Amino acid sequence: MKRNQGLIAFLFIFPYMLIFFMFRLLPSIGSLLISLTDWKIIGAPNFVGLKNYISLFQDKNFFTALANNFRFLLIVLPVLLFASLFVAIALNGKLKGRNLVRTIAIIPYVIIPAVVGVMWNWIYDANFGILNYLLSQLGVDKVGWLIDKSYALPAVAVVVIWSYLGYNMILYLAGLQGINKELFEASQIDGATKWQQFRYITWPLLRSTTSLLITLTLINVMQVYDQVVVMTGGGPRGATMTLIQYQYIAGFEKRNMGYSATVGVAILAILIVLVGVQKRLFKADEGREG
Amino acid sequence: MAAKAKKAFQYLLMSALSAVFIFPILWAVASSLKTETNIVAFPPQLVPSPFTLESYNTVLAKYPYAGWMVNSIVIAVMSTLFVLVIASLAAYAFARLEFPMKKPLFSLITAMMLIPIQGYMIPLFKMLNALNMRATPELSSLSLILCSGANITSLFILTTFFREVPNSLEEAARIDGCSDFRFFATMVLPLSAAALSSVAILTFISNWNQFLWPSIVLSGNKNLTLPVAIARYFGAAGQDAAFKYGPSLAAACMAILPTLLVFLSLQKYFVEGIAHSGIKG
Repeated sequence: MKRNQGLIAFLFIFPYMLIFFMFRLLPSIGSLLISLTDWKIIGAPNFVGLKNYISLFQDKNFFTALANNFRFLLIVLPVLLFASLFVAIALNGKLKGRNLVRTIAIIPYVIIPAVVGVMWNWIYDANFGILNYLLSQLGVDKVGWLIDKSYALPAVAVVVIWSYLGYNMILYLAGLQGINKELFEASQIDGATKWQQFRYITWPLLRSTTSLLITLTLINVMQVYDQVVVMTGGGPRGATMTLIQYQYIAGFEKRNMGYSATVGVAILAILIVLVGVQKRLFKADEGREG
Repeated sequence: MAAKAKKAFQYLLMSALSAVFIFPILWAVASSLKTETNIVAFPPQLVPSPFTLESYNTVLAKYPYAGWMVNSIVIAVMSTLFVLVIASLAAYAFARLEFPMKKPLFSLITAMMLIPIQGYMIPLFKMLNALNMRATPELSSLSLILCSGANITSLFILTTFFREVPNSLEEAARIDGCSDFRFFATMVLPLSAAALSSVAILTFISNWNQFLWPSIVLSGNKNLTLPVAIARYFGAAGQDAAFKYGPSLAAACMAILPTLLVFLSLQKYFVEGIAHSGIKG
């Protein structure tokens, strides 16, 4: 059976591997190397050892950006998980029009994030936005959603939630459909309450879906960027500045590529730690993938 | 009675949800079709009256919007085709052939899935500059397509699917003296049409929406992609004294159209694709 498979396989994988090595693997390794230099776009890079990493730990702005990412996470993660699970459970079962709702729900997820930002800028506009108009009908004063330091970050977080809610809901619905209906019937005969059914059947059996959704949310929120650029530009006064924007500014505005690469490596390290911790917390689930 | 109340609640919830998801989009569309004075009318006008394409004309006249649109479509379509070709070839080898270093190579590739673009964009940018790939706008578009080829999710989904092609088919094909390439092209690909469609739509949409990397690579302002152009000219940074909502919403609405067309015609595969890409996370 094993004819000249090595050569044939080489021909099949060659184009992909070439692109992968050139545009993904090499630059990823390069990031580590450049982060050890003082490269400034123009001129030759000099080796500076761990200098960039030491600066990073003393950089107040980096920690401000990091804190902002965590603020996003603290708002987005619980709301997304709870809301999508609640909606999925409520809409589980045969319902007319559910497919239509599913289609509508995924639309925010597929639209260009930059465009989503533009649409919400208009809703949030302090003077002419419809949100402030509706609030004014209730007697609430004008809120500068995107220009007030205390509202800007939650306002953008709501947009992030809006983008991902339908996507999460669909994954939970798929998970619910995988649960054997007989489990509910049997537990009902045994006199289990709705809460007990949720606690002992639904929740444990949705564990892998929950784990996946948390991982995806961690990855997405630690990289939130497009909407921020379009909605606030990182303002007001840095209130919504996130890690990626900070990295972009370091590299392409301040032209400090070595430092920018360092920030990139740091973001990746933070992401690996977060996802690692999350996987550990959901370890019971890992046996399945083994 | 309880069942009826539950149904009523479910339909109420579905309507409320649909409204939440669709309203911001409809509101943008409605506002983009109003005159500049009516956009900021008080109280807000729900249905545009008079109905006008003024904002759309402004965008098309003042900005190279058609060029952005064409460039976005070319880059997203070419990237998708490129990924489909090279990833399906490689996926065939990983799924069905034996070769040295197969397992470690595959593990290396999937391990890289977690590294986002900002983890390697600085050296990639340096490399593209060194190769003179950003010298002209066309070259910078081409480099964007080449970079998008290293798509790991697609390789992963296709490998999973190609493994499921029954071995009996392969044995029969071998007995008939069928070459690997012919077996791949005439049996495996057609049998995996659904997976290929999923990969196609996921790749198209992620390339179409991409912002950070194109904003770095693309040079010149005529050949930008829509996300980059919209952020640059119609976002927070573009809000100068002369900023008007009409054109910015018109620009946004036109950029949604291709996404909606692709999504609505292939949505079945899209939802399946989400489920499959979720297999491993």
